[in-house]
Amino acid sequence: MRAGGLRTLIVGDLRRNAQHFILASIGIVVGIAAFTFFLALGSGVRNVVLGEIFPLDKLEVVPRTTDIDLGPLRVGMGKDTLDDQVAKSLGALPHVSGVFPKMKLTAPSTAVGGESLLGNDMRTELIADGIDPALVQDDVASGYAFKHFDDGVAELKACESDEGCDGKMEYCGLRPRWRADGSELTPAERQQRVCRHYVPVMASNHLVEIYNGTIRRAHNLPKLNPEFVVGLRFDLRVGESMVDASKKDKIIVERGRLVGFSARAIPLGLTLPLGYVGQYNVFYGSPEAASTYHSIIVDIDSKDNVAAVAKSVEDMGFDVADSGAEQAALLITIFMMVFGFVSVVIVGIAAVNIMHVFFMLIYQRQREIGIMRAVGATRANIRALILGEAALVGLVAGCFGVVLAFIAGALFDTVSARYIPDFPYKPETYFSFDPPLLLGAFAFAIGFCVLGAALPARRAARMDPALVLTGH
Amino acid sequence: MIRVRGLHKSYRSGDGSSQRVLRGVDLDIARGEFLSVVGRSGSGKTTLLNIIGGLDSDYEGAVEVEGKRLHEMTDLEASAYRNNHVGFVFQSFHLFDYMSCLENVMLPSLFDRKGGAAADARARALDLLDQVGIAEKASQPPMNLSGGQKQRVAIARALFNRPSMMICDEPTGNLDRRSGDAILELFRALNQEDRITLLIVTHDPLIADAATRCVRIEDGQVREDSGASVRASDEDGGADGGVDAGEGAFEAEERA
Repeated sequence: MRAGGLRTLIVGDLRRNAQHFILASIGIVVGIAAFTFFLALGSGVRNVVLGEIFPLDKLEVVPRTTDIDLGPLRVGMGKDTLDDQVAKSLGALPHVSGVFPKMKLTAPSTAVGGESLLGNDMRTELIADGIDPALVQDDVASGYAFKHFDDGVAELKACESDEGCDGKMEYCGLRPRWRADGSELTPAERQQRVCRHYVPVMASNHLVEIYNGTIRRAHNLPKLNPEFVVGLRFDLRVGESMVDASKKDKIIVERGRLVGFSARAIPLGLTLPLGYVGQYNVFYGSPEAASTYHSIIVDIDSKDNVAAVAKSVEDMGFDVADSGAEQAALLITIFMMVFGFVSVVIVGIAAVNIMHVFFMLIYQRQREIGIMRAVGATRANIRALILGEAALVGLVAGCFGVVLAFIAGALFDTVSARYIPDFPYKPETYFSFDPPLLLGAFAFAIGFCVLGAALPARRAARMDPALVLTGH
Repeated sequence: MIRVRGLHKSYRSGDGSSQRVLRGVDLDIARGEFLSVVGRSGSGKTTLLNIIGGLDSDYEGAVEVEGKRLHEMTDLEASAYRNNHVGFVFQSFHLFDYMSCLENVMLPSLFDRKGGAAADARARALDLLDQVGIAEKASQPPMNLSGGQKQRVAIARALFNRPSMMICDEPTGNLDRRSGDAILELFRALNQEDRITLLIVTHDPLIADAATRCVRIEDGQVREDSGASVRASDEDGGADGGVDAGEGAFEAEERA
C-alpha cells in the first residue's frame, strides 16, 4: 500500500472516530503526563543533588587508616597523608582524566571582614584547604585570578594607596612581617607600603546556601546573592586562633579576596591555591609539608566509570571519601522507579482501554475492512492501518501528555518560588525535561497504543471479507 | 478462462454442526461472458462467486483463473488478483460515506502495488464517473446520492483498475425498476464494448434474460446451465465463449 494512501485512510478514520479516540486516549495523556512529570522531577532533583551537592564525576581519594576508640578519643593508626608518587599512580588509572592534590591548612587561622556586606565585621575561625588551581579555573569570576602569587619581598612595587596598584588582585599594604623561610623583616622594611596580591579564595556554594537558608534568619541579616559576594575582601590571619592553646607565636596577616564559588571548594571553609597552603604549612611545620597531601581529587571521564575507578583506588590500598552521593543517587533512583512504575500502570490501563475501543471500532467497521480487502488490501495493509491509527493516537496523546507535564511542572515551580521558604540548594526549577526523556515519553505513548491495538489489528487482518460483505 | 472443478464448501455453524453449501460444482466460464447465476436464497450462488473472486479461500476443489489456481495463491497474490483482475459490485453498494465519490472510486489505487501518480488516479476516477454518468457528483459524499447513483459509483470503483472480470452480487437488488434498467444497460455496454467478463448473482429476471448465459444453482450444485451445449461446441471448434444475448437463457425465478 502506498504511504500516501495509508495516511489518507488513517486520517479519515481518526476524523470520523475522533470522539472515541479522544475518550480512549485520556488515560494515555494522564499516564504520559505523570511519566514525564515524575521522571523530569527526578532528573531535575538528581541534577541538583549530584551536580551541585554531591558531584559524582569525581572521587576524593584519602589514605586508608584504622581508627581506634579510646574513651572519648578516636586515634588514627597508619599514615594519613599522600604524596606526589601516589598522585602519579592515580593519574595512570584507566578512566582517570585528571588528579588534583588537596592539602589542609595545618595551622589555625581566622578571618575578619564582611562590613561592606553585613554592616559590621565578623570574625570567624577559619578552616582552609589548598587545591590545584586548575581544578576550579572554570569557576573563577571574570577579572579575578585564582593562583599562587609569589610575593617576593624585594620585587614588590612601592605605593601610597590601592589606586597605585594594578587590577582587582592587588592592594596597597605593609610588607609581610615574616619571610617564607621564617626570618623576620626589619622594622624599617615592615613600614614600607607596597603593592601586594590578595590571597585568592574560592568558597563552596554550600556556604551561601547555608547562610541564606539558616544563618541569615537567626541573625536577621540580608539574603546574599553569590554574584555580588564575589570580590569580598577580608583579613586572613594565619597562626591566630580564638582557642588560646592553638595560637602560634608568629602570625601571618594577609588580605584575602573571594574570587568565585565552586562545587569543588571545601564545603565549610575557604579554599586557597595549593601554593599558599603549602607555604603556610612549611612555615609552621617542615619543608616536607609542601608535598604532603591530605587527599587527592580524581576526575573521571564519565559517571558510568566511577565504580570501576573506585574499585581500582581501593585495590591500591586507599579509600574513597564517602560524600553521600551514592546514597543520594540510590534514593533518587528509587523515587524515579516508584513513580515511573505508577505511570506505567496508568498507561497500561489506558492501553487496555485503547484495545477495547479498537475492538469496538473494528466491529463497527468490519464492512469497510471487507471492502478494502475486496479492492486489494492485504492482511498486512489492514494491520498497518489499525496500528497506524493507534500510533497516531499515541503520538497526539503523547504530545498532550508532555504539554500537560510542562504545565504541571511550571505550576509546581511557581508555587515553590512563591510559597515554599528558601532552603539550601533550593532550585529555580525542580524539573529537567531532557530531550531523551521527551523522546522516551513519545515512544512510550506510541508503544502502548500500538500494543493495545495489536490484538484488534490481528483480528481485523484475519477477518473473512466474504463473511462481512455478503454474510456468506 | 475460469475453470471450476469439484468445488465443495461447508460452513460451520455455532452449534458445531457443518452445513454444506456447495457440493461438487463444475463450471467453465469463458472470457467475455455475461453470466447470470440464479437460485434460491442459500443455494450457494454468492459463495460460488466469492470463491471465484478470491474473497473466500476456504474450500475444497480447484478454481483456476487464466491458468492460476486461486487456492495456491499467497495473501499478497490473492490481494493483487482482486485489485487488478476483479471488480466487485454489491447489492448494498458498500461505499465509504466519509469519502467523496471521487475518493471512493480511487480506493483501489491505494492498494495497487504497481504504483502510479495520484494525479493519474484522480484523472482515471473522474473519467470513470463521467462514463457512468455522475461526473457532477464527484466531490459529494455518497450519502447525498440516490441508490442508482450510488451503484454507479460502486461500478466506477470496480472498473478502476480495468479488471478482466466483474463480480456483482444482486447489483439491482436495492434499486427501483428505472435505476435497475439503467444499471443493466451499463453492464451490457461494459460486456459488449469492453469485453469484461460479468458474473452476476441475481433474482432479477431482466438481468437473467439479458445475460448471455444463465446458471441455476440448487442445493449447492449446478442444476441448469444455458450455455453448457454452446461450451461443448466451443471446445470442439476451439472458439472462445460467447453466445447471443438471451439465447439459451432460461427464465429466472422471480425476485424474492
